[in-house]
Amino acid sequence: MATTRALARLATRQAAVRPATSVFSRGLASVVSESKTSTTPDPAPSKEPKTKTFHIYRWNPDEPSSKPRMQSYTLDLNKTGPMMLDALIRIKNETDPTLTFRRSCREGICGSCAMNIDGVNTLACLCRIPTDTTKESRIYPLPHMYVVKDLVPDMTQFYKQYRSVKPYLQRDTPAPDGREYRQSKADRKKLDGLYECILCACCSTSCPSYWWNQEEYLGPAVLLQSYRWIADSRDERKPERLDALNNSMSVYRCHTILNCSRTCPKGLNPALAIAEIKKNMAFT
Amino acid sequence: MASIMRPGLLRQACSPAASQRMLSTFAASSVKRSSPLAQQIRPAFERSSILKSTRVAAFHATRSQQILPAPPQRVVGTANDPTPVPPPSPSHGSYHWSFERAISAGLIPLCVAPFAAGSLNPVMDSILCALLVVHSHIGFEACIIDYFPKRRVPLLFNSANWALRIGTVLLGLSLYSFETNDVGITELVKRLWAA
Repeated sequence: MATTRALARLATRQAAVRPATSVFSRGLASVVSESKTSTTPDPAPSKEPKTKTFHIYRWNPDEPSSKPRMQSYTLDLNKTGPMMLDALIRIKNETDPTLTFRRSCREGICGSCAMNIDGVNTLACLCRIPTDTTKESRIYPLPHMYVVKDLVPDMTQFYKQYRSVKPYLQRDTPAPDGREYRQSKADRKKLDGLYECILCACCSTSCPSYWWNQEEYLGPAVLLQSYRWIADSRDERKPERLDALNNSMSVYRCHTILNCSRTCPKGLNPALAIAEIKKNMAFT
Repeated sequence: MASIMRPGLLRQACSPAASQRMLSTFAASSVKRSSPLAQQIRPAFERSSILKSTRVAAFHATRSQQILPAPPQRVVGTANDPTPVPPPSPSHGSYHWSFERAISAGLIPLCVAPFAAGSLNPVMDSILCALLVVHSHIGFEACIIDYFPKRRVPLLFNSANWALRIGTVLLGLSLYSFETNDVGITELVKRLWAA
């Protein structure tokens, strides 16, 4: 045991005096470009193939010292479904089972397959493959997120922020007739455009403010959810909810860049919700 | 710049072993110094090599994009804890925002009015100058909060804020002297427009 400890101490000492060149350091997430990696062809193209090339971001946590790289795949569009998710699933099934991505419902209701496709954050299942085969498609994980593997971003911070806005009904007084909490049609209408959010994080990760200050700024998706409860006529904690946002970082890092409303795959308007929060805070 | 951000880099570059390693392409060629002559000339050689290698390291080790690279991921608490909610401070939140928006909205008529009315009013001019100073101060302050986050570079954040405050005071003083000793800002724009 003592020898082991001595050996270990020796090893640490050696590690401590090891010169600069072997210190592990990684720069910004630059990617090995697709021109330097091989292309995987379609295994079974049809007679008159409509071949399209997909460049997909790959990074494997099992090889932490190797750089992320762009891997190219060619697919025959005649044998592939119409959506980007179909292409990804076909690549995973038929050519490269190591390709990793999240997907569940394949119809735009779960928000799992959010990724950056051809420069736009969107859901792979709602994004058609452009039929122009001369154009090559590029697929990245959501920008400025920590990557777990390939196209899978780490959403821990996002969900923790969502939890911090208390996304549930808070109410002390019971319903007057002892049944469910009712609201008028007009009050219910205020929630349209808010309750549809599926928390895919496309909007938050497209927001430059969220890129720079992810630790403190809540981001469009979480603020939209926060406003969904602020606007709810049945909720009785509106002042507390507004107080929780009333500081320089949580809301006011929004500079109305409007990337969120532009990219939302569900067609919602998070920027409007943030503007409503600001209005509520200014006039109450 | 990078060596300021990462003092470790400078230290490593200055240590003789590291510097020789950086200079040499062979692993062990530069450390063999058995003869007495080599022992004698060693200090001079080392000094020159340090200077050179510092230059080399400063040139090569700095990647152009390595300004505030993303830190390793750090999760506060468990994955099931909410992120901490900061204490409410309306003076940095809602009051600040209302104030900022009121000034921005106020600047629009103030910019148009002197030219629409066609007359010069020193009171209007002074209000315009005061609002411009405050408006630019708030704008730059937002930039500092965004790009020099206090949680990561508190020193840079504070120094940038103080530089901004000094700049704002200087701007106010210079605008004041320009208004009192010279033609004033509205007249300046008028003349520049006509020029």
